[in-house]
Amino acid sequence: MTRRLTISAAFALLLLGAPGMSAHDEFRIIGTIAKRQESQLDVKTKEGKTISIALNKETFISRDKKKVAIAELRIGRSVVVDALGDSIDELVALEVRLVPSLAAAPAK
Amino acid sequence: MNTDDDVRPVAASSKRQLTKTTLIALLVAAGILVTTVLPAEYGLDPLGTGAVLGLMPLSGPPIVPEEVAVPAGALPTPVQEGPVAHYPVEYKFDAVEFTLGPYDYLEYKYQLERGAAMMFSWTASGALIHDFHGERIGAPSASAESFKKADTSRAHGSFTAPFAGIHGWYWENPGGEPVSITLTTTGFYSAAVEIRSDRTRHPHELRSMETVIGAIDRGAAAIP
Repeated sequence: MTRRLTISAAFALLLLGAPGMSAHDEFRIIGTIAKRQESQLDVKTKEGKTISIALNKETFISRDKKKVAIAELRIGRSVVVDALGDSIDELVALEVRLVPSLAAAPAK
Repeated sequence: MNTDDDVRPVAASSKRQLTKTTLIALLVAAGILVTTVLPAEYGLDPLGTGAVLGLMPLSGPPIVPEEVAVPAGALPTPVQEGPVAHYPVEYKFDAVEFTLGPYDYLEYKYQLERGAAMMFSWTASGALIHDFHGERIGAPSASAESFKKADTSRAHGSFTAPFAGIHGWYWENPGGEPVSITLTTTGFYSAAVEIRSDRTRHPHELRSMETVIGAIDRGAAAIP
């Protein structure tokens, strides 16, 4: 009986976890690359804040809508990152676009 | 030593148990999904358990509506009499300006009841990716309903909300130069919120038309 209940609970938790995992907001981070590690990109925004974004195998890296290698993500380059996360402190990049150097930042 | 007769009943029983266990798990999962997860994550509350358990505020960042004086007993929705709609709420005015940085986007939305109307006019200093859309209160942003999508630098018109919720614009600057946007609206909305690309929400103060007309009467040089 205990075993049956354990299996039931585990299965229920698995099913419950699925919708939660997809309930993220989409963020856009615009700035210059401050640091890059194998699975993480640090972007310094125009406000001067540095935001860490995780990279994974699904992250699409592009320039002019064409896929480029991760090696193109070099320090100092301007990027537009669309990322998913529950907050700005835990983001996973969906797409990283390399763009021409950003113009002077306007105040919102 | 086991014979075939010994084994067969055990195998049949395990299969039945597994099916039963799976069904129990599915029922438990479905129950929790409907009573807890849907209200907390998506703002959907078919059984009313989300409201009872206080889970509804978890489904999304709250929108802080401006206090609007509603006459006692009156609903904030319009009452239609042929071609005329009567609104038991104040007629509002709003004028805002934004500067969108390169590749940046923002949303600006009003809270409107079903059937409530507004007039709008916006112009931008450059072409923008634009989506005029609405979201039901408490629903996930992915369920937004788009009314007009186009790459443009201006739009003028009127809008009647097809459902209660927040309705407004998504503007994205596709280029490397800043673009400024000027928006002017009037209508029967109760709150306005600016949602930036970092997902922060910034409520905007609205003014009643009486305030604006009062400023004109007093000889104000300009209405911002």
